Amino acid sequence: MSQPTPVEKLLEPEGCEDLPRMLADLTVEFASSFDIDETLRNALDRFIAYLQAEAGSIFLLEEDGQALVCRECAGPVDVAGVKLRPDEGIVGKTVQLRQAQIVRDAARDPAFSGTVDADTGFVTRSILCAPLLVRDQCIGALELINKRIGDGLFDERDVNLVTAIAAAAALAIHNARMAALLVEQERVRRELELARQIQESLLPAAQGAGIPVFGLNIPAREVSGDFYDFIELADGRIYFSLADVSGKGMNAALLMAKTSSLLRCLAKSSSDIGTLLEQVNNEICETASMGMFVTIVAGYIDPSHGTLTLANAGHQPVLVRDRRGSFEEIAASAPPLGVLPDIDYTVTTVPLNDIVMFIYTDGVTESESTDGVQLGVDGLQSLILDTDTYPATGRLRAIVDALHRGGFQSHDDITLMMIDAAGPRTAGVLLAIRFQAAPAQLRMVRERVKAAVDPLALDGKLVSDLVIAINEACMNIIQHAYRGDPLGEIDLEIINNGNELTVTIRDFAAPIDLGAVKPRNIEDIRPGGLGVHFIRELMDECNYEHGADRCGNILRMKKRIDG
Amino acid sequence: MDYRVSKSGDYTIVELAGDVDLSCSPDARKAILRCLERSEHTLVDMSGVTYIDSSGVASLVEGYQTAKKKSLRFGLLGVSEAAMSVLQLARLDKVFPIHATLQQRLDADV
Repeated sequence: MSQPTPVEKLLEPEGCEDLPRMLADLTVEFASSFDIDETLRNALDRFIAYLQAEAGSIFLLEEDGQALVCRECAGPVDVAGVKLRPDEGIVGKTVQLRQAQIVRDAARDPAFSGTVDADTGFVTRSILCAPLLVRDQCIGALELINKRIGDGLFDERDVNLVTAIAAAAALAIHNARMAALLVEQERVRRELELARQIQESLLPAAQGAGIPVFGLNIPAREVSGDFYDFIELADGRIYFSLADVSGKGMNAALLMAKTSSLLRCLAKSSSDIGTLLEQVNNEICETASMGMFVTIVAGYIDPSHGTLTLANAGHQPVLVRDRRGSFEEIAASAPPLGVLPDIDYTVTTVPLNDIVMFIYTDGVTESESTDGVQLGVDGLQSLILDTDTYPATGRLRAIVDALHRGGFQSHDDITLMMIDAAGPRTAGVLLAIRFQAAPAQLRMVRERVKAAVDPLALDGKLVSDLVIAINEACMNIIQHAYRGDPLGEIDLEIINNGNELTVTIRDFAAPIDLGAVKPRNIEDIRPGGLGVHFIRELMDECNYEHGADRCGNILRMKKRIDG
Repeated sequence: MDYRVSKSGDYTIVELAGDVDLSCSPDARKAILRCLERSEHTLVDMSGVTYIDSSGVASLVEGYQTAKKKSLRFGLLGVSEAAMSVLQLARLDKVFPIHATLQQRLDADV
């Protein structure tokens, strides 16, 4: 066996576990434990045994650096929780100087405060104290008191030992703190995700199923201050709203949840949109926190009278487009909700026929291009014109896609609502669904198609033809347009025009080469390429086109059902 | 879709059941080609198939062509009405040897 080197000898008190081994053990303990306090306590016990001290303590600097607090202690006197000024006593001096201190004889050292001794009757003879350093930061100090052997006083050799131990302990504490921070961040992230899911659940689930209202919300952060809602009431009317809560983040999200719930609940029994907003405004004024408000457009659609009534409280002007193609605006006629109680909200009535209405938040119009130009209302109007031929279900998504493709980015939540009551696209809608472009969805699609045409009591062969053609078209999109991209989405709409069904299938993938979509020679027996042949054979009409502004692809198919 | 592979005399029988669509046709394809790779005469029993799409049909075509290349016997059994209409659409109803039951196939082999 080789002789210990002089350094090893210096670091090795006789009869104790060896230092590297102890430090390695402690590092593992710190790394594997989630309870820093308990680990610190075990470590302190081992330091005390190792340095043969009578008592010991670990002080950590508070986060603001204004105090040193005893986190762990061992020995005859319990000083846990004791707070010192950051420059108080030997511990304070160690932290300030970032250097190990030894008070060989406490009775003669002016830096020794002696208050604890005076309070407890404990006699401090000798102190050893080392800073807990992580890189250039001091996070606290390790203090040991009175040597149990010899003359009871610490010496220079002990200073070296405590410095080495403190360095390892500091790193371990730092690591444990970082781990705790990560756990906390993960917890916050999970809670935000949960909040996002709850918010999402507040938005109406079904779109297009007989209700001519369509909405889209894209939060800028996890949670949104915007919301939209619509619901068909028992008396056949449809309530709708779109709102923007001032501010962003959690407080806006909470006010959003409250406002939308109040509105939804009261809308069911209210007969007039002005009265409804008045009620909700008073409620928010009473209870909302200062400085927060809600801009909103809300209204009722009354299909039996062919009218739409709405009120605009401090919100962006509503865009109304008539079938001739010109736009009109319905501007705000009252301040936002939550600003002043007892406000009268002017109600505007619009005939439902021949109009399409767009309601939006400023996240849309204030989207900026890369060179800092805002989209503006004009920009939104031209996106609306560009998407005129789109099926109602996919139109809002197409508008936002075109916005992004044009290089516009929004720092705010984007929320859009479209009301398209009289358009031929919403008359006789049997099915309007959006689903993930994935093979596993195909079965659901086939079931939904069958269920949608079931009320028409069509011939079984006709239904099966329709199902096969739609299944093949969706397959082609999954395989060829999205090329297996699992994030792709497909819009499917089936409309009953009386003597024929119109099926519109839309994807949002890169435009395909339309010339390449053609049936192959069916006499040539080989796998693949059958889908297009099936579709052409089974449907009476089918044609492919690119979406406006080259966004995605649209397949329109027709099938006669009049025998 | 479920499938089961069994042996019956000279033949390995791949029994497909349920909807054979893009979500599972790759499995059906593998099952069929595996038998042929082992140089087994292969029959695909389709009596339990409720729906088949063009990707399922493509798997059958690949099986048919592989068998032909390796001079193996291949065919379909108990093709349901739903599956038959799709085979007709693909003009394959006269290409694949199709029999109602295994016994009919064996009788035809003689």
